[in-house]
Amino acid sequence: MTARSIVVVSGGLSQPSSTRMLADRLADATVSALAERGVEARVTVVELRDLAHEVVDMTLTGYARGGLADAQEALAGADGVVAVTPVYTASYAGLFKSFVDVLDKDTLRGTPVVLGATGGTARHSLVVEHALRPLFAYLGADVVPTGVFAATDDWAEAGTDDVRPLPDRIRRAGEQLAERVAGREPARRVGLYDAVPSFEDLLGA
Amino acid sequence: MQFGIFSVGDVTTDPTTGRTPDDTERVRAMLTIAEHADAAGLDVFATGEHHNPPFVPSSPTTMLGYLAGRTKNIVLSTATTLITTNDPVRLAEEYAMLQVISGGRMDLMMGRGNTGPVYPWFGKDIRQGIPLAIENYALLRRLWEEDVVDWSGKFRTPLQGFTSTPRPLDGVPPFVWHGSIRSPEIAEQAAYYGDGFLHNAIFWPMQHTAQMVNFYRERYEHYGHGRADQAIVGLGGQVFVRTSSQAAWDEFRPYFDVAPVYGHGPSMEDFTRETPLTVGSPQQVIDRYGAFWEQVGHYQRQMFLIDHAGLPLKTVLEQIDILAEDIVPVLRAEAEARRPADVPANPPSHAERVAAARAAGKLPAATAAAADHWTGRTAEDDLDAADAATVR
Repeated sequence: MTARSIVVVSGGLSQPSSTRMLADRLADATVSALAERGVEARVTVVELRDLAHEVVDMTLTGYARGGLADAQEALAGADGVVAVTPVYTASYAGLFKSFVDVLDKDTLRGTPVVLGATGGTARHSLVVEHALRPLFAYLGADVVPTGVFAATDDWAEAGTDDVRPLPDRIRRAGEQLAERVAGREPARRVGLYDAVPSFEDLLGA
Repeated sequence: MQFGIFSVGDVTTDPTTGRTPDDTERVRAMLTIAEHADAAGLDVFATGEHHNPPFVPSSPTTMLGYLAGRTKNIVLSTATTLITTNDPVRLAEEYAMLQVISGGRMDLMMGRGNTGPVYPWFGKDIRQGIPLAIENYALLRRLWEEDVVDWSGKFRTPLQGFTSTPRPLDGVPPFVWHGSIRSPEIAEQAAYYGDGFLHNAIFWPMQHTAQMVNFYRERYEHYGHGRADQAIVGLGGQVFVRTSSQAAWDEFRPYFDVAPVYGHGPSMEDFTRETPLTVGSPQQVIDRYGAFWEQVGHYQRQMFLIDHAGLPLKTVLEQIDILAEDIVPVLRAEAEARRPADVPANPPSHAERVAAARAAGKLPAATAAAADHWTGRTAEDDLDAADAATVR
């Protein structure tokens, strides 16, 4: 059986990045939960920081170059996606949105996705729900119920959340993504030329 | 192999002088460029069609009709003719008129157009782009091939007993290309009819271009027009050439950096590495373009965009001279040397198409104006009838 592909999109702009840390943990939780189900998974990480120039270039020229083309290809063939952005000015980071803007509109249609965000304080906690979730609903992604927001304090040993500490939330989100991924046929990359109707059909349409 | 230039007719401020030509100056510059290309010995001049500033060429057949009278050898073409927003009846008439006026020294390239507002301005819906391209082109072909057409479809009023005039020259319609960058449906359309396919690669890595061209080639063979490697392929490209590479880079960079199409995006270094844009010496252009066939097979037409981004007319004319003297003869010889004998060297000329139609029995032995089926038979028909009577 071929391994499932989990693609991690990390919109963190600093290095090291807490966004990348959260993204990696979500990916690990997903891979572990898949392993428990007997499903092997391999992880591809897309660091938007490395693609920043190419993303902006594509907004101006309309074509993807270099690593951006590879990232788009990986997402189009993903069985599951972990998407995490830092919070900038009450929403997802501009680079994260620009990356989404240059995706083909059907790239994530039906793809299981877990959403995450990082920010300085817990006051931004709902950004996953009021900003990220509508964006991915528009893309037609199959977003799992648990979104994970990590504030700076969440990274402390005990965290600030007594009810549902960060590791719990990460584990639960990973479980949910794994459940969706395991329950589906492996993604088949649909190429530009795979679904072209014959010209007789086009004429008759 | 043919080599030509195509213009989008953009009115752009020259960033080195701050000067902007007006529409009249730009249209006249396009005419001068085409006449110069003819005199210099390039094979093709093609004009775009646009209906929004900053582009001036809204009326290709007016421009090409004038050029037909002013030039001697160059093939006059389009890049592209909007098959979606133009009425196919008008296209049939206008391009048949151009074919007659130019003595068959023309062809044309269909495209859908990618400027959203142009569709509603002409009463069309961009979401219907592909269905419009398919229905309109199917009608256009019938109007050229059949003397009297009854037709109804989704996108225009029905026709009853309609004859498009003038009839195509010698009874053979113009050769048609289909241009598309991303839509395999259009490559499929070109293959279905056995028409030419041009991939305007100017913003795309050659790998993408090769995939699209090879898809067209496979489908061309599928539809029985010949082998895949015999299909008629064209590529777009763009160059800026000076004697030395450094001189070319220094002179072109200010234009590249602020050009509406690629300014403020990728660096010229990145863009020249990843797309067919070649800035450098004639030998560098020869090396780059002389290698494209390795990815797309032997192709019949290479078009260069050279008069954009605010480059002054004098510079554009110098580019034409360098292309014609130092680049095209070498590339043409190289292409001819490696071309398999049974792969067409060039797109079919009008004379070749007439000969082929005659050989296939699709034309009367002596070409006559076709009967219009309204006023009765032509004199030639009557002669044939008289001959038949005599034999009997």
